[in-house]
This record gives sequence, C-alpha cells and structure tokens, in this order.
Amino acid sequence: MTENRRRILIVEDDRETAEQLVEFAEANGYEADLALNGEEGFERGRSPDYAVMVIDRMLPSIDGITIIRRLREIGIVTPTLIISALGEVDDKVRGLRAGGDDYLVKPFAFAELLARVDALARRSTAVVKDMVLRVGDLTLDLVSRSVTRAGREIELLPREFQVLEYLVRNEGHVVPRAMLLQHVWDLHFDPTTNIIDVYVGRVRRKVDSSRDYPLIHTVRGVGFCVRAPS
Amino acid sequence: MAIAGFGAIVLSLLGYIYWSTTSYVASRTDRVIAAEQSLLQAAYDRGGRGALVAAIKARIAERAVDGGLYLLADQNFKPIAGNLADWPRDLSSGNFDAPGTGRRSSYRVLVRTLPDQWRLLVGQSTEDLESFTRAIDAALAFTLLLIAMLAGVVSILVTRRTVGRIESINATSRAIMERGLAARIRLRGVNDEWDELAKNLNSMLDRIEALMREVREVTDNVAHDLRTPLARIRGRLEKASGTPRKAESDQKLVDDTIGDLDGVLRIFSSLMRISQIESAARTEGFAIVDLATIARDVVELFDAAAEQKPITLSVAGDPCVVVTGDRDLLFDAVANLVDNAIKYGKKNGMVTVTVRALEHEALIAVADDGPGIPSDEFAHIFRRFYRLERSRCTAGNGLGLSLVAAVAHLHRARIDLKDNQPGLAFRLLIPSGNTTPEDRA
Repeated sequence: MTENRRRILIVEDDRETAEQLVEFAEANGYEADLALNGEEGFERGRSPDYAVMVIDRMLPSIDGITIIRRLREIGIVTPTLIISALGEVDDKVRGLRAGGDDYLVKPFAFAELLARVDALARRSTAVVKDMVLRVGDLTLDLVSRSVTRAGREIELLPREFQVLEYLVRNEGHVVPRAMLLQHVWDLHFDPTTNIIDVYVGRVRRKVDSSRDYPLIHTVRGVGFCVRAPS
Repeated sequence: MAIAGFGAIVLSLLGYIYWSTTSYVASRTDRVIAAEQSLLQAAYDRGGRGALVAAIKARIAERAVDGGLYLLADQNFKPIAGNLADWPRDLSSGNFDAPGTGRRSSYRVLVRTLPDQWRLLVGQSTEDLESFTRAIDAALAFTLLLIAMLAGVVSILVTRRTVGRIESINATSRAIMERGLAARIRLRGVNDEWDELAKNLNSMLDRIEALMREVREVTDNVAHDLRTPLARIRGRLEKASGTPRKAESDQKLVDDTIGDLDGVLRIFSSLMRISQIESAARTEGFAIVDLATIARDVVELFDAAAEQKPITLSVAGDPCVVVTGDRDLLFDAVANLVDNAIKYGKKNGMVTVTVRALEHEALIAVADDGPGIPSDEFAHIFRRFYRLERSRCTAGNGLGLSLVAAVAHLHRARIDLKDNQPGLAFRLLIPSGNTTPEDRA
C-alpha cells in the first residue's frame, strides 16, 4: 500500500520531543510542519491542507483542547491526535475518541503514534465496501464470514473473524492493541495484561501455522500488523 | 434562642392557665346569679309580689353565709325586701355593704325590672373568686420561680457538660496536631449525641490513619516495584557504557530497556487509573449494562489464555442481569478477576464466571478450583501492590485487585471472598437499584 506524501501539523512545545516527532513522521512518508506554541498551532491549523494534526494537550497560553475547539468552531475538521500526559484520567481527552479524534498517552512508542496518525489519515479516504478482502493467499469473505488460505478453509470464532478482519482492513499498517480492543470489543481502556497478545496469538496459530509464510506480525510494544511478503 | 423559646412557652402556658381558671370561676358566679334570678322570677310568676317577697326571705335564710345579695325595690327604688339596706347608688362599681356586717365588698349583680316597674336585684359576692384568683396567682408565681430555677440549673449543667465534651474533643485535636494520629476522643459510654459525634470522629480518624498507612505502604511498594526495573536499566546502561559497541548486544540492551520502561509506565498508568476511579469522578459514564453480556465477552476474550494453561473457562447463571454501571470498568474488573483465576488456578482445572439476579442485588462471581489462598490473607489482598509471597515470581504488579476494589466501591458493590473448596471464589454484589452517588446524596 503506497501513501501519497501527506502533510501533518505537529503542535508541541518541548523542542526535543517536537523534533523527534518531525523526524519520525518524515521518515515514514509524511511532510511535517511544526508549531512550538498554541497561537502558532492555531494559526497554522486554520489551513485545510493538513491530513492530520498532532497536538500536545498541555501547551503554554492556549491549551490543546481549546485549539481543537476553536478550529472546529471555524469549520476546520482535520482529524486530530491529542497527546496527553494525563490520558485516561483526563475526561476531556477521553471524550475525543467519541468525537472521531484520538488521543495518546505520554510517553508513547513512536510506532504507536504512527499507527494512530495513519489511521486518522486513512479515515477520510478509504471506506471501500468490499465484499471480499485479500492479503497474499488469505481470503476473507465478509458475506459468508468464511476464511480461506491457499484455498483451504480456516475455522474462526466470530470474534476471531472480527479481529482478523480489522487487521486485514489495515493491511500494511500497525494496529495498536488498544485500537484493536476499541474496535473489536468496544472497550476504551488499555489492558495491563497481555491478554490481547494471547488472543491474537490464537488467531495467528489458526491462520499462519504450517503455511508458506506468516501474515500476522507482532510489533513489539505496540500491536500487530498484517503484511504479505512482497 | 432555645431558652427564650422555652420561656415564652412557659409564660404563655401559665397565662392560659390563669385566664381559663379565673374566667371559669367568673362564669360560675354568673350562673349562680342567673339560677337565683330565675328561681325568684318563677315565684313571682306563680304568686305575684307576695310570693316573691317570701321567696327572697327564704333564699336569704338559706344562703346566709354564701354571700348572696337580694333586693326588691318599688318604682322609686325604695327597698321592699332583701338583705341590702339601700338601692345602690352606683351599680357599675359592684361595691356594696356586705349584708349584716357593714363591711364593703365586691359583688356581681343582675337587675331585672318587673312588669309593674318594681326592680329585683340579685347579686353574688366575688370574694370567693378573688381569694381563688389570689391562690392561683401564688401557685403560678411559685411554679414560674421553680421552673426558672430548674431551667437555670439544667442549663448550667448542660453548658458545663457541653463545654466539657467540646474541651475533650479539642484536647484530642491538639494531641493529634502535636503527636500524630494515634489519639482518640474518650467516650462517656452513655450513648448520647456527644458519644455519637465522638464515635464518628474516631472512626474518621481510624479511616484516615488506615489510608495514611496504606499510602505509606503503597509508596514503599511503588518505590520497590519501580526501583527494581529502574536499577536494572541503570546497571545495564552503566555496564554498556564501559564496553565497546556491538550491534547485536546493543540491540538486546535497547530492547530490554524499552521493555523495562514499559513495565514502569504500566505501573504508573494502573496507579493513576485506580486513583481516578477511587475519586469517583467517573459516574457520569454510568449506563444500563448487562452483566451477563460482560461476563460472556470477558470469557470470550480470555478463552485463548485459558486454552493455553489449559483451563476450562465458562459462563453460568442467568442470561441477562441488568445493572447501572460503567461497562469499561466492570469489564476491566471482571477481566482482572478472570485473569487472576487463570493465573493462579490449577492446570486442567475450571474457572467459572457466574451471573445471577438476586432479590436486591446482582451477583457476578469468578470461581476457580486451584490452590486458593489462606483465609487469613483474605483481608489484605485488595491492598495495593499486595501479593502473596508465593506469587512474587508470577508476572503482574499486584494492582489488579485494588482496581477491582475501586470499581466495586464506585458501583457501591460488595466484594466477598469465599473458599470454593477447593479454590477461591470472588463475588461482586452490585445493588440492583444502583444509582450514582449524586442521586443518592
């Protein structure tokens, strides 16, 4: 899956973090603009060119949440990822997921940040109503809810099918554990146990064992990724 | 304020007693006069003047000492018969010479003009009434004095007692400020409001002391649980800084360090999550939820983990049990219990999640048939970072059950532990009419 170079806006007051973010975004196919304070962030954020905005919750002078609210008031609907040091404790931030935006708790893995930015960037474009999903020799029939690999049927429980479907829909992108939990189980917290890994592990055994190549990959510390060898 | 109110009530009560007794006695006098009058009137109607004069004489003879006053006079007020020498000049004053004594006394009188313009006067001395009133006055004054004295004594006693109790609370407060939380207010053992207050303050102090002890323990444990991985990281980096770079070992070093830091961050987020739930700021997320659905979802999520052990994980009980609560938190709590049950249950054992609607509460229980825990450890396991000695080597940070306890508290649920013989059963009892704390207050 190839992505056009997309512009994102990063609003972060800590210079070192900001530069790390820009570097990482640019290394992963984004063109990143940086704003080091709230006012600048708001001014730049008025541009409709950005695919995604990444905004720190705690900024001197204007708060991250306020920037989003003010941008929404003037009709800017750019999907936004808020970075918060408070995270789940912060109800305002929690509310973001309900509004279609997203949040990430500081400190975070860059891979997870990228996964979430990717997901927000994709949201506006790729909503294709496929009936059949394919990755490598794996086929998911969304109508009959059946899975085959190299023509041979794989038995999956309904929830396992949903997990695989979500991973396949995000083919080539890392899906963080919390996102999987959110989309498949509708749970909005980060589990402290490795339960998701165990669950995906079982799906992987059914899908990948004794096959030519694995499709479901674990991304250490972040989540999972479905990828066929190129 | 209360004393003024009490005084006003006492005064008005005494006033009422005075008024009602005197007016009763006065009206009794008037009734006597009216009866005499109608008796004489009847004699006149029967036999004219002669009968009337005879009747007057008879009444005077009969009521010699009663203070009755009779006088029949002709149209020129000349006395004809009776025990009053002259027709009184000033009838309104009611003061006449007492018959036979020459002493002036007060009377109530009634005058009637007969059909032939003669006048009949009937009166009654009010001396009885006056002496009665005087007696009542004296009694009431005495009562008032007695009540005032009693009230004075009682209020002095109450004030002294109040001041004494306040002083004992003050002394305890000072002791706590000076020497720490150990002091308690002494109870009198009389079960009055003061003892009640002292008891409540004491149990508040107990709670604060327990919380402080818990915070201290948590701090110690946090220090331990965070220091261990941080010390590992530090040692690893220190060792690496003294050795030449090697791609392979460097990669392992970096990966291990990230892994340890993730562990530290997980502890942090668990602690924040628990303290947030404990501050009960999340009741706005309450909605109608089905515990049975939650149980099925949890079991489904942990199915793979149970399979790995292997343990048979199943749901039992009612198919739909509705409570008001936060789905995420209830899910998290049940997930923690199931996670524990699988972790500490025995291989090839059973873990069962039971959901049942009871009369006033909803039950969700997680039971295993593993080794269980000694019953004397029951009270401790909900404490933060508490881990049985033998489980120190198992993965986990000892915060799971604290989270369960916090979620239970938020839902006003009771948690209990039962020996499942063998194994352990955690039971969460959520009130069916569960409402948010704001609604209840």
